[in-house]
This record gives sequence, structure tokens and C-alpha cells, in this order.
Amino acid sequence: MRSAAEHTRTTILVDVTHGLDAGHEALEGAALASLNLDTPLCVVGDEPRITRALQEIPHDAELLRVIHAEDAEHGGGLRTTLEHAAALPCSTVVTAAARYRVLQDARDILPLLPGVTRPALAAVYPTVRLRGERDDPFALLLDVGAQLDSTAPVLLEHAILGAVYARLISENETPRVALLANTSQEDAIPPRLAEAAALLAEAAGERFTFAGLTDGSRILLGDADVVVSDGYSGELLIRTIEGFAATAEQLLARAGKRFRWRMGVSMLGGGIEALRELTDWQNYGGAPLLGLARPVITLQSGARRRAFVNAARLAAKIDRLDVQRALDDATRDTPR
Amino acid sequence: MTSPIEPAEAPPASESASESAPGSLAAPRSLSGHLHHYRWDLDKTYLRTEFDTFRDLVRTFRQRADEKQVVPGARTLLRELLHPDTVLAPRRVTFISGSPRQMRKVLTERLRLDGIEPVEFILKPNLENLLKLRIRAVRGQVGYKLEALLRSRIHADRVEEVLFGDDAEHDAYIYSLYGDLIAGRIGADRLLDILVACRVYTRDIDRILTLQDTLRPAQGSVRRIIIHLDRRSPVRRFLDYGARVVPVFNYFQASLVLFGDGQLPGRSLLHVLEALKDEGYTPTRIANSVQDLMRRGFLSPVLFARVEAELDAAGQTLGRPPSAFLEASREALELVHVRERPTPPWIEDVDYLALVGSGRFKPPRLREKVLQFLE
Repeated sequence: MRSAAEHTRTTILVDVTHGLDAGHEALEGAALASLNLDTPLCVVGDEPRITRALQEIPHDAELLRVIHAEDAEHGGGLRTTLEHAAALPCSTVVTAAARYRVLQDARDILPLLPGVTRPALAAVYPTVRLRGERDDPFALLLDVGAQLDSTAPVLLEHAILGAVYARLISENETPRVALLANTSQEDAIPPRLAEAAALLAEAAGERFTFAGLTDGSRILLGDADVVVSDGYSGELLIRTIEGFAATAEQLLARAGKRFRWRMGVSMLGGGIEALRELTDWQNYGGAPLLGLARPVITLQSGARRRAFVNAARLAAKIDRLDVQRALDDATRDTPR
Repeated sequence: MTSPIEPAEAPPASESASESAPGSLAAPRSLSGHLHHYRWDLDKTYLRTEFDTFRDLVRTFRQRADEKQVVPGARTLLRELLHPDTVLAPRRVTFISGSPRQMRKVLTERLRLDGIEPVEFILKPNLENLLKLRIRAVRGQVGYKLEALLRSRIHADRVEEVLFGDDAEHDAYIYSLYGDLIAGRIGADRLLDILVACRVYTRDIDRILTLQDTLRPAQGSVRRIIIHLDRRSPVRRFLDYGARVVPVFNYFQASLVLFGDGQLPGRSLLHVLEALKDEGYTPTRIANSVQDLMRRGFLSPVLFARVEAELDAAGQTLGRPPSAFLEASREALELVHVRERPTPPWIEDVDYLALVGSGRFKPPRLREKVLQFLE
């Protein structure tokens, strides 16, 4: 963690050309964040439109700068945001653009950290088990779609990125890292995973402990704090978890059809609300793209302003805990 | 209806003849005959006061004069406006506050510590209102402030007023209404309707109407109304009043507007800038507010070029060039696509009755909602 003397505050660059209502939710989120976080924010998009919209939204103009993006309506906002991030040494990007666009443009514009060959998209999900000094219920899954097919050394790289991130963000000194597999039987997994498991076991030590293989049935129990996977399987898994939460929500709505069920749901109201809060992805602060020279936080296209505020909070936390430097230091030492 | 009323022009330097102390009663009229009267609200405009909860109220009431915090830049701006060396015409300051009269001693002491001597310092008779069960008068501001503004006017032929308030209550509404009253744009019948709509007590209405009767046509004018956005209200809330009302996020923004109006010299801009810097404002933060003012049309590129030149010259003279700020501002303005914005229109026929009924009339509790939401 940086000392107060050497602390340089990040600038949070929010792409307000993507997301719900043509980016209006993103703008409202950034405006709300300007009232609550003492961190400079830049909103990137069509400036006259932003200025008109800001007249209606409470915000702090001292902390909120506007950057005009040419061709904002046709996706120019994301590229302009990333270009400004590339030019600003201490900055973080928040965007709700389609993930494939973010991955493509971020790789084009932002350099990788020197010790990283492939960036990883990380997502948090709630688990039964609590972890870290603050009893954090969230575990980290990566990669969830940046690299569809990853080699064993790339999986090791991602394990290190995930472990460093979890250590700082969840205040979990030695996170347990597991490798996602079809089974926990070592003799029944593909050779690529076996190779990765061997690399992880060898690299484990002070930075993380290797919890071995984990299959889908153990994920939500939270045996591991960080689960490493290739992008294809990871994305499949995270979508399943999100879909499960959405389905549970719909099932709950059905309960309203019968009086006795409705009564039961009403009596459990507080607990259900707490569970809802826990599983609502808008509370998580988005999925960080790790391994690039600047942190990039991606949000789903349906993200509402609350998700943007939480993403801005996460960006401020990443800066405060100097996560980028820690990622850089850790990956430079990765054995090849 | 809108009309392109020009902001007050600064009289030539040779006319700056005042030799009196800032805020003193006996200042003479300048050769131009203009007298500048600055009217300030106190809480949340000049002083950083919290009174949203009962605990805040008690704490505010118990604070000593030296414990009261001034809004960053407010003291410097006011001192610059009244400074004998920067006086282009005679200048006065009056404070009209919603604080109770029982706080007079401590508040006067606070102003004295800041080197400010108001011509008049009007406080609200809250205890009296409470004892007489005039509950609406305790909470309401329209009747009290409008009457105080009319009563404490300086009766001279050519008085130009600049009014300072905030977004916590109805300052923009009251000041704007007052400006239109002294400009003769509102008749007695219309005023009566407005005051009834604002739920002002009948006795107060009678007094206000009597004061209105004493006004002579076009006797003085309100040139600007500066609203400090203490609660960070959306600026849309103030657009209905036209360009005379300028919502500002800090007093450097106010200084830029008043510099453009010829009320302040370039050197004063530097002093306000330095005051904000002393309060922990970074060049980026101030540059963002310059960008905001330009995007809203209150600062033109031509005026900013003048600001740059004046600040540079003042900085060279004082040996403190504000290069970091100027660089940050240029950078912030470069990021804006269209720098030239039409100045917001000056509106002469504000629909005060419609405004009372609109949601924008209510003081915002948005910030509190935001904080609740974020918690």
C-alpha cells in the first residue's frame, strides 16, 4: 500500500457512450460518484449532450471533467476513453461497452504489464464461505472471457494476477487458488490442465496456496478464494451463476400467486432482501480486466447508475491499495 | 421575453475615487454616480454551516466565532470586492441571514476577525416568531428576506447590487423577485399573488406591499445574483431565472463572472485563486470548474484569454505566476469540443407563480438522498 506522501490519486475515466439509455445511466453514476468520492472523474462522450444532461443531475463540477469524443454515437467514446487512459499514467477506465469491444480496443491501445502476455477478465461471485479480515463473501473467478483458450503458463499468469488482486482487495493475506476442472480427480483431466496444475503447485508459496482442482459443484461453497480457468469455461460458469440468481428472482415472483406462499415470502422479507443484495451483480463494482498497464473495469450493458458508482468506488480502491504496482511487481517475477 | 441586457461596465480607472474603508457608511459617491452594494447571505454562502439536523443546529449555535468556518474563497472575494485599492466606485456590503438574532454577537465577531464591516447585518427574529406561533415564518424565507432586502436598500439614484446566496433555501427566487421589483417589472397585484402563493403571513405581505409603494421607477438594479451550490443542486433549477442568476460551485467561478462584469480586477482573481489553493484546491479541481463555467456559457474564450493575460501579469508582478493553474485550465478547455457557447438569455418575465408550484422551488434534499443511497 502506498504511503500518504507518495500517493497520487487516480483519475477515473468513465465512458458515457455505452450502457443503458445511451450512456445516461453511466453519466448519472459518474455524477453521483463525484458527490461521494474525493477522486477526479472524467466523463467521455458527446460534450454538448453531456453538458445538457448534467444540468439536470446533481454533481460536483470541481471533480467532474468532460472530455469530448468525436463520433461518440458510433462507439468512438470507448476508444477516446482508452486513449486518454494511455496518456494519463494514473488512471482507471470504467465502461459498459460490449466486452469483446473492450477487449479488442484495450489490447490495441493500452500496453500490457511487462510480465503479462495475456490479460484476464476477472469476476466476483458470492460464496457460502467468508474470507479475509473483513469476512468477504466474494470469491474471484478469472478469466471470464478475455482468452477463450489459455495455455498452462497463461493460466499460471492469471493465477498470480488473481491472487494479488484478492490479497489486496479482499484483505486476504494468502488466498487459496484453485484450478477449474471437469473433476477433482487429477488422472481424469486434460493434459493442458494437468500441466497448469503442476505449474501452480510449483509456484505456490508466500503469495498464494494452491487448493488443487475444483469442479462446478464446489464453486459456490467457496473452497477457493480465486478460481482460475480459461476464458471459455470461465464465461460459461459466470453466466450460469448470474442466470441462477435471475431465475431465483423469477421463482420468488411466482410465490406471489398463492396467498400462503406470499405470506411466507413476506415473513422472510429481510432475509430475502439481504440475499438479493448479495447476489445482485450491480453491487460488485464490475469485472476488472487485469494485466493491462491501466485498470479497466467492465460493466454489463444493462448496468444501472448504482453499478457505475460501485465501479468508481472499486477504481478508487484499486488506486488506494496500489493494486497496479503490486500486479506489476508480481508478474515480473513469474517464472517462464 | 428575453432582452440582451449587458452586464454592468466597469467605470474608467480615473473614476475610482473612493477613499473610505471597505464597508463603511460614509463612502462618497463616485464621479460616475454608481454605488456598488453587495448583499450576502451568511449560512452556506459565506459560512460553512450545517443545520440539516437538530444536532447540527445545536453545534452551530454553540460554536465560537473563531470556530466558524468560512466557505473557501468567500472571505478573499468579499475583501477584494471591498478593497480600497481595487475600488472602481463606492462599495458597501450588507448581510441578511436566516440565523437567529441571538447569534449576532458571535457572527459579528466572526466578520470582524475576517476584516469585514458590513453596513448592516440583519438577522431573523426566530425566537419572536416562535413565541407568537408564527411557525411558517420560522421556516420560510421569502417574506423575511424580501422585506429585509427592500428595507435595507441604499436609497441612491444609481445603485448596482450584486447578491450572493446559496441553494439551500430560496435565495435565487427571492433575489430575482427583489431585482424585478426594484426594476419596476412587478406590480402590486402580481406581487400579492406571489406572496400569497409563497404562504407569507398577511401582516408581512402588507409591510412588503407598503415598501414596494416607496420604490421609484428604475431606482438601481440587481446586476448579478451569485448562488453558491452548497448542496450541489442541479443547475437546471436556476435556468428559469435567466443569466442574471449564476450558480457557482466555488468562489473562483464567481470571481470570473464578476471579473467579466468589471467588478473585479485581474489581481483579485489571483488572490481568490491563492485562497482556494490554501484550502487544498488543486489546479485540476479549479480548472474543472473553469471548464464547467465555459460549458454553461458564462465564460467565453475571449474572456478566458483576458483572464489568462491578467493572471499572468498579476502573477509576474507579485512573483507568483499561477502557471500550474493556467496549464491545467488550458488542458481542460482543450478537451471540450465547442468552446464558444451562447450566453444564457437574460429573462425579464420570470414566472414566479409557476415556479412556486414547480418541484424546482423546493430546496433539494438530493445530496442527502445520494448519501443514503450510497450507504
